[in-house]
Formats: sequence, structure tokens, C-alpha cells
Amino acid sequence: MGEIFRRIRYLLHRRRFDQELESDMEFHREMAAREGRNNFGNTLRMREQAREAWGWTWLGRLGQDLRYAARTLGRSPGFTLTAVLVLAIGIGVNVSAFSLFNMVALKPLPVPDPGSIVRLERRSPQSYTSEMPYASAIFYRDHAKSLSAMMAVLGVPPMEIDGDLQPTSASFATANYFTELGTVAAYGRMFDRVREGAANSAPVAVLSYGLWQRRFGADPSVVGRTIHLNGKPATVIGITPDAFPTLGGQHPEIWLPIAQQPYFVQGSKVLTDPSAGSVRMWGRLAAGASPKMAAQELLALTNELRRQHPKDIWDNEYIDIKPGAHLQVMQPEMYRVAAMVAVLTLLILAVACANLGGLLLARAVTREHEMGIRIAIGASRGRIFRQLCTESLLLAFLGAAAGLGLSYAVMQVVLSRLGAPKWVTATPDWRVLLFTIGISVVAALFFGLTPALQIARQRQRKTIARQVLIGAQVAASCVLLIVAGLLVRASLHALYTDPGFGYQQLVSIDPELGQHGYTPADAQAFLTQMQSRLLAVPGVKSVSLVKLPPLGHTVSRADTEIDGHPVAIYPNWVDAGFFRTMGIPLVLGRSFYAGEKNAVIVSQSLARKQWPGQNPIGQKFKNGDDSFLVVGVAGNARVNAINDDDAVEVYWPAQLADMADMVVMVKEAGEPGNLPPIVKSISASLDPKLFPETRQIKMLYHDNVLGVERVAMVVSLIGFVAVLVAGVGIIGLVSFSVSQRLKEIAIRMALGAKKVQVLAAVLRQFAWPIVIGMGVGTGIAAAASKVLRRALYGVDNLDPLSYVAAIGVLGAIVVLAALLPTRRALRLDLAKTLHYE
Amino acid sequence: MNDRPKSGMPSGALPMLILRVLQTRSLHGYAIAQRIHLLSSEVLAVEEGLLYPTLQKMLVKGWVTAEWGISETNRKVRFYSLTPEGRNCLETELSDYGRVTQAIQDILRTA
Repeated sequence: MGEIFRRIRYLLHRRRFDQELESDMEFHREMAAREGRNNFGNTLRMREQAREAWGWTWLGRLGQDLRYAARTLGRSPGFTLTAVLVLAIGIGVNVSAFSLFNMVALKPLPVPDPGSIVRLERRSPQSYTSEMPYASAIFYRDHAKSLSAMMAVLGVPPMEIDGDLQPTSASFATANYFTELGTVAAYGRMFDRVREGAANSAPVAVLSYGLWQRRFGADPSVVGRTIHLNGKPATVIGITPDAFPTLGGQHPEIWLPIAQQPYFVQGSKVLTDPSAGSVRMWGRLAAGASPKMAAQELLALTNELRRQHPKDIWDNEYIDIKPGAHLQVMQPEMYRVAAMVAVLTLLILAVACANLGGLLLARAVTREHEMGIRIAIGASRGRIFRQLCTESLLLAFLGAAAGLGLSYAVMQVVLSRLGAPKWVTATPDWRVLLFTIGISVVAALFFGLTPALQIARQRQRKTIARQVLIGAQVAASCVLLIVAGLLVRASLHALYTDPGFGYQQLVSIDPELGQHGYTPADAQAFLTQMQSRLLAVPGVKSVSLVKLPPLGHTVSRADTEIDGHPVAIYPNWVDAGFFRTMGIPLVLGRSFYAGEKNAVIVSQSLARKQWPGQNPIGQKFKNGDDSFLVVGVAGNARVNAINDDDAVEVYWPAQLADMADMVVMVKEAGEPGNLPPIVKSISASLDPKLFPETRQIKMLYHDNVLGVERVAMVVSLIGFVAVLVAGVGIIGLVSFSVSQRLKEIAIRMALGAKKVQVLAAVLRQFAWPIVIGMGVGTGIAAAASKVLRRALYGVDNLDPLSYVAAIGVLGAIVVLAALLPTRRALRLDLAKTLHYE
Repeated sequence: MNDRPKSGMPSGALPMLILRVLQTRSLHGYAIAQRIHLLSSEVLAVEEGLLYPTLQKMLVKGWVTAEWGISETNRKVRFYSLTPEGRNCLETELSDYGRVTQAIQDILRTA
């Protein structure tokens, strides 16, 4: 240990120690001379050797190398600028992607002790749900010793403030929610654990900062005022801070205490119903409790719950514990998406590195003279290799600095476009910086290692390395372009393809009867009245009932196998008029009769899979132990799986027991727009405590498509950047190889070779790498795009048009890039060229 | 590149010799070389190119320290002296060396 300190002392005071050493040796020499002995040794060299004992020689060499590298790069600013730019793009794209991932999944929320906050979700080997019954959450809270607190949030449909036409988003939260997150109100106060913990306390609401500014003109006197939420008076007690980190990244405009939910949603039994999955649950681990201990304890409690409510707990159910204090709690599917994005961005880096590697190799030929001199005056291969690696590292770090700046700018734009919460900043944190350093070292290895080896071994004129680099660039660009092509096709497909139902004129109305404590019979009576009143509205063409409306809040899906192929079946419960209202054609058979049981209607796609070549009408469809008679075959309609072309549908006749969960679908003749106020007044006259959620399907559909469009745009942009970078690289390499062979070309032409032949001779060495690169790229894209299938809106991941288009664009750019520099060879002034040298 | 001593200095022996001559009193670099030369009956010559790197190594290892003093020629010069660590080191080196030479001599005598 002492030795390390002494070494560091020698490093810090190296000037003084060096002087001492010099004085020692000078004295030695004086004494030797006095005794008549002459010393012919090289004093400087000997001193250097003595200094090596300190163990810092490498540092000095590094400094030397860095200074030399900086001078070399400074002497060719054009090359340096190109290299830094190419690297900035390659590294910047990766840093941006990582910054986003970091922001969403790695960076803990700025709340007290974020490490102990965990997200708790129900899971079993077969099932998963993000929501759990509030009663279960309370049970876990009361009995788990490994949790010091339980926070729960209940999302509800938007509520009306004081009779506004536009409803406002709202959530119920447990009274400890804000104290656990350390939230300090901008004005007034947040929930108090004692005061807002009881059901019979005075009804209160906390408003978001944004709502307070927009709806209440940023007036601080709003605190203390009484507002009406869905007609129920409540006192505003506080305004959330502007920068307000919430669990799970949810930002409702109104926060209400969960204990008062039965007051705001009259007749609701959500808080006591042990089967209604309703709240998102978080916990805080008690001091000294590990997630593992908590998991064991919660498993025992789950088994206890099963004894109490055998029907409501799954087989092998357990509570999944994940770090909870992040913007997003990552699910396995999200990791898949993140991995895919990572692959795409790393491909960009690969293109950039291969490109730069080519440039470095080309430059090596022009540096032959310099290297020759260095080797001649005694530099070893190792020393030259180290020098070149230092140069690459310097380039990589310059590129990384530029990339970091680029990524900061990109993040600023992304954050403002996404409407990210105020507390999220684009400023890189230590994780991002560490990642940047890591990725620039990786980049330096990628682009610098091969050229450095080739140069140190004096093999820079070999073409094989250049060919490999070109092939790699072409392959990576090819993958990126094909994926971009697929996504563009998918968004076009989604935009212009019929999802199988007439979404343009549809409106869904969810009265949420079940949540207001309606019995099935009451619900049926209400729905009948509602339907007949709606039918009387001018412009309404038809009305029907469905349990899972298109683009609704819940989706049900059953994964089974038919003949060994996995099939995702989307079930739905509908009434007889559903198909007419939705505009889904009945291809065979008929719709349900009113009150029909034991019948089923399947989609064409399911019929084809289940009974290939047979008449599906009259077949038996098994569901569990019961079998149902197929009475009709409907056209394929991705009502609940807009993005999944492999989905098949099964429709069951809605029974009386389903009535409290039914949603009314309305088809209008023209543009649906004026319906919400009418629905509101009809509903209010039937039952004033209801506030149905009216949603225009066309809007939801466009919102959904917008997401794909954005992704397609970003990926296309990235793809084109990659192709352009590759194009620039190919231009550089071809023009280099032309200038290298200028004399040969001139001689050939002087001897009467045709231009085409000369061109072929120059370009031949690039043809194979490009063709192989394209082949490999296409193969990789075909294999990798399987992952994309679900996001492709029914476009096949082997869609030939996307592949042909991508390869065509790439081919055109590559050919252009290869031909541009050869023009110089064709316009050659033969006499001048041959006279040169 | 490596300046090997012409007079056949056994490799690795120099630190031990330096430690030994510093055992009784502190000396400056030239005196160390002189003393080794004298005590070995002028068989072993310590070159400047080997002495100073070795001394630097010993300084870094903490076996010796250097302090400014005045030489016999009235010049300011650094005197090297043993540290307790150096003393320990010398003892182990000496006993190791003794064992090894004994072993070698045993072989030479009997084989």
C-alpha cells in the first residue's frame, strides 16, 4: 500500500525528484572525473532508465501519444471533421436511445428513499394483471410486516368539473400517497394520512399544477373553494407542484382520496369487491426487509387470501415485486422493444465505425511515408500500434463529446414533443456519461483496431480489410432500411386499410353500470331505455351492445393452439345488432337471436384455421367443458387487436349476467360530433348519478395510428442517415482506390481500353462485398423482423415490396456513390497523368 | 538497451549489496559504488547506469530514504540511508542468500 502512495508522490512531485536524480548523477560524474575515469554514457537516457523505476513511464508515453495524435489530426482538419461528424451521429443516436431508456427505466424518481419503493403485481405462470382488488391491497397492507407502507392508485374515467363539456382526468390515491413521495404542495396542502384516510371525512380534491393554470387561471384562492366533480361537491385543498414525480408516470389532473371513492362514484362497490381488479399497488419495503423476504411473506398472504376467496385467486398466484420508483415499471415485452431499438441503434454505430475504418485505412496509404520514417528511426510495431490506437481513442472521444451534445439536443426536442413531466431533464447523468465513455471505447475498437493492426504490420495496401468494411456497412444499412420500409408500409397499411369494421362513424358510450352497483336486471332496463332514446336522436342509424368496445380500456385474449400453431383468440360478448352497427359483414349463417344461448359466431380467419375446407356452420366450438353451436361466420375485424393481424375473433351472445358491464355502440349517419351532450342529457334523465364516457372511435383509431407513424418516421430517418453515412464512406473508398490506381487506368486507356472496361476493373473489388453485404443484411432483416410482427398492423414481416424498395434504394445510393468518384478516372488527362512522377 | 555490468555482477545481487553497505552508515551514490568496488577487492564495479535505477527502485519500495547532506568535496548531495523496512529486507535477503550459496556449494563439493 505504502508503495502505491510513494509512487503517486513521485508522480506529483516528479519535477523535484527528477532534479534530485540529476544532481546525484552529476555528482557521481564529477567524482568519477576527479579520479580520472571518463564516462561516455548518455546521461539523458540513463536518467530516463532510472525514472522508469517510478512506474509512470506509460503515462508520459500516453501524453506524448496524445499530443502527437492531436497534432496529426489538427493537420488534416477535413478528415478530422468528417470522422468526428460520422462518429457523432453513430454515438449520438446510441446515447439518445440510452438516455431515453435511462430516463424511463433506470433513473430513480426524485423522491425520498426511492430504492425501497416497489411495484406489486399479481402474476402466475399463466396469468398477469397490472391491477389488483383494493380489498386485497388492504389485506396485504394490514398483514405484511416486510412492507412499511402501501400506496394504491385507482384510475377512473374522466370527471366533469362544474358541468364542463370536456371531462377532466382523475385518479383516486391512498391518503399516504403524497407523504410517501415527499410531495410538497405548490399551494395549500396534499392529502393528510389521518384526515383523508377515513370514508366519512369531508370530500376534498387536489388539482394538478397544469389544470390549476389552464382551468382556474393560476388563482391561489382556488384553494378552499368548493368545486363539483360529476355533480358532487368537494373542497380543493391543494395544488400539486409543477415538477411532480408520480409512481408509474401517471399524471391525472384531479387527485381524490381513495377512501372517498364511494362518495364520488355513487353505488360503487369497487373498494370492497374482492374480485374487481381495480388499483395499481406500490409498497415501501420496511427497513431491513429485502425484496426476497417480502416476496415470501406476500406469497403466504396470497395463500391465505385464497382460503378466504377461493374463486378470486389464481392457481400458483404470487405477487411480483419490481423496483417501483421509476417513470415506467418495465415489463418483459418492453425489454424486447428496448432490445430491438438497441440493435437498430448499434447498427448505426456499426455503419459509422465501418465507414471510419475505411477512411482510416485509406488515410494509412497517404501516411506510408510518415510510418516508414518512424519505423526507420527505431519505432517498434507495438509502439506504432499504440500510437494509432491513441489516435483512434482521441477521435472516439471527440466524437463522443459531439455525440453527447447531439443527444442532448435530440432529448430536448423529444421531451418537449412527448410532453414529459417537468421534473425530467435532458441533462445527462452519470449513467449516461458512463455509457458514452463505454460506447466510445467500443467504437474506437471497432473502427480503429483493424486499421491499426494493418498499418503496424505495413499491410495497408491489402484490399481484403477494406472489402470486409464495405460489406459490413452495406449489410447494416440494408437491415436498417428494410426495417424502416416495413414500418412505413405498416403505418400506411394502418392508415389506409379497413380494420374490418366501420370505425369512422362509431361512438362508444360506457355508462359503467357495474361500477355504480347496478344489478344485471337494472342494467338491462337502463340499457334498453338508453338504446331506444338514442335511436330517436336524428342521425343515429343503429345502436347495439358490446362488452369490449374497440380501442377500449380492457382487452381480453386467450392464447391457444390449433393444430400445433399458436393462435391468439380475442373473445367478445355482443348483442344481436352488433354486427350491423359495427359494419362487420356476416359471411355465412346469421346473427344471434335475442336471448340466444349456447351459440357462437366466429371470424372467417378462425373458421379457416379450425375447420379448413369444411362448412363451419353447425360445427361445435369448444370452450372449456362446454361446446357451442357455430351459427355464423363474421368477416375478420380486429376490434380488440388493431395491431395484430394474426388475431382471430370469437363472439358470444351477451347474457343477462353481462349486462352491468355492457357498453353501447352507436353508428351515426354523418360525422359524429354532437353526440356527447345528447348522451349526457339522456343519461342524466335516466339516472343522474351516472356520467357515461363517450368516445369517438375514429379519434382513438387515429391516435393509435399516429404512434406507429411516429415510430416509422424515426426509424426511416435513422435508416436514411445510415445509408447516407454508408454512401459517403463508399464515395471516399472508391475515390481513394481510383486515385491509387490513376496511373494504371491512364496506361490502360492509353493502350486503348474502353471506358466501361476501365470502370469494371476499378469497381470489381467492391462488387462482391456489396452483393454479399446486401444478402447478409436481407437475411438478418428477415430473421429479426419476426419480432416486429405484432407492431406491423398486418403487414407480413417478409413483405416483398418493403424488401425490394429498401434494397432498391440502397442499391441506387451505393451505385451512385461508387460511380461519382470514377468520373474523375474517365475524364483523365492521359498525357498529364503519365508525365507525373 | 540494458547496460549489463561488465564485471559479472550477479543479477539481483545489487540491491542486497547496497543495503549491506548502507547498514552501518548513510552514504551518497558515488560512495556506495566506491564502497562496493573496494569491499569486493575491486572485482565488482557498479556502473552509474545500473546504480541509479536500482536506487530509485529501492526508494519507491521504501527500503532506503535520501536526505540532503554535504559531501567530502563540500558539495550539496543526497545521502542514502536504510529504513527499518530496508533493514528487514536485508536480513531476509541475507539469510536467503546464505541458504542458496550453501546449497550451491554443497552441490559443487559432492557432485
